[in-house]
Amino acid sequence: MSILDVRGLVAGYEPGLSIVKDASIHADEGEIVVILGPNGAGKSSLIKAVAGLVPITGGLVLLDGQDITHGAAYLRVRQGLAFVPQTENVFPQMTVDENLRVAGGVLARDTVGPRIDETYAMFPDLARQRRLAAGSLSGGQRQMLAVGRALIVHPRVLMLDEPSAGLSPKFVEMVFARLAEIRRAGLTIVLVEQNARAALAIGDRAYILVEGRAAHEGRAAALWDDPLVAELYLGQRRAS
Amino acid sequence: MNLQFIVDGLISGSLIGLGSIGITLTYSILRFSNFAHGDLMAWGAYGTLAVVGGVGALVGGVAPIGPLSFGWPLILATLAGMAMTACLALLLDWLLLARLREQGQSIIVVMASFGASMALRSLLEFIFTSSPLYYSRGIQMAMPVGFGIRITPDQIVLLGVTTLLVTAMHLFMSRSQTGREMRAYSQNPALARVVGIDVTRVVRATWVIGASLACAAGVMVGILVQIRPLMGLDLLLPMFAAAILGGIGSVPGAVLGGLIIGLSEAAAVQLIGAEWRAAVAFAILMAVLLVRPVGLFGRAER
Repeated sequence: MSILDVRGLVAGYEPGLSIVKDASIHADEGEIVVILGPNGAGKSSLIKAVAGLVPITGGLVLLDGQDITHGAAYLRVRQGLAFVPQTENVFPQMTVDENLRVAGGVLARDTVGPRIDETYAMFPDLARQRRLAAGSLSGGQRQMLAVGRALIVHPRVLMLDEPSAGLSPKFVEMVFARLAEIRRAGLTIVLVEQNARAALAIGDRAYILVEGRAAHEGRAAALWDDPLVAELYLGQRRAS
Repeated sequence: MNLQFIVDGLISGSLIGLGSIGITLTYSILRFSNFAHGDLMAWGAYGTLAVVGGVGALVGGVAPIGPLSFGWPLILATLAGMAMTACLALLLDWLLLARLREQGQSIIVVMASFGASMALRSLLEFIFTSSPLYYSRGIQMAMPVGFGIRITPDQIVLLGVTTLLVTAMHLFMSRSQTGREMRAYSQNPALARVVGIDVTRVVRATWVIGASLACAAGVMVGILVQIRPLMGLDLLLPMFAAAILGGIGSVPGAVLGGLIIGLSEAAAVQLIGAEWRAAVAFAILMAVLLVRPVGLFGRAER
């Protein structure tokens, strides 16, 4: 059974102007699902709508069978759905420690400390910079902080919007290696990415989103060589 | 030069600073300039006066505490007044401001708060008339403390209470989970929602804290000067100037801004004349906006 099931989702910022149009995707437990597509296809809007940041006007979002379509964003986090935005994904004027602590508000008080220690063990760089303002971190460190903060609630599904955007190749490699590690611990990951090669390398399944709809679905490993996919999206990228 | 302006400036500055905490929080978290904040201050002062009257009717006259001009009923009534002012702010938000905020146009919310300010003030005049009222009519003798400076026991206690409230507020914002959530929401509302912060709770906390402190400042003005329906309006410009001077969103900044405005106003009264007092806050506000638009403790958006 799918842990995250999105059925016929319609969503957009303005009434009557849908960016996501009848998109259906699902993610099974422990899977890495990659969402690819050309610019403007609605990839980011799709996962933002699932996270509760873009108004949904049609369709269903089910988390472990429970309908969360119209729940507030903060309730979705409490239900086990974590989201890491592409940009502005840390609170710049708060320290690294405060960034983690503020996300611990949904946990029992005595759980917060151990969970923060767990995050520092996973990302030792953050532990060394715990007293620094998050705004002073490099792009890669911010991404680690954002991922660490999302993991602090032990979500069931982690959604990431272009985690490699703006990062150096070294950091991109590190971010994807960490995501693969996190998945091995049993977490389900939904990944929106422009860096198709890196994302498909760690993904299990992938969707190609075109004009707000999931136009194609397949095994991540096979997708790279699928001529239809090349036509839909990857062709120009590979040629470049 | 008479150094008395230092005490006068510290007193009025701490009242301005206390009041401007609510303004800075409302601006940074709810994203609008609340012109009704001064009237929350006045309502707090009148509400407290009503409770003092009620307590007096129940238990009779109560002697003042030591050399102070007021007794325990005022302390009790201030706590009740803070709760009432917080409820009034929540009611105002629920009835009017929250609905307009949802439309996303802050100028409409600002105008609505301006309208609410006039309505609240008129209602106070209707209920209590515009004649000044007092918590106590006793006269306090100011004590000399050297260098030609004199200070009353009420002033000493109120300076202490302000220090206590500001310290508690700073600790609350930096150490408590609700304080962290308020700061997080002011920095990035969308991110705050996806890290599991209940926005409704943050909004409520902002109103409750801002209105309670406005009430405390209003009561202090009432103790030191008098209670009038216009008392909040008179302090509105200095409070905004303090919030902007300190840097929007910064509690210590608002307090420091209040002290700078208070001291500057008091110095202006002594050096260039009382008629220039109000202009000083405006001049400082303009100077800050030109030289450092983000204020003393504010940070530019990244």
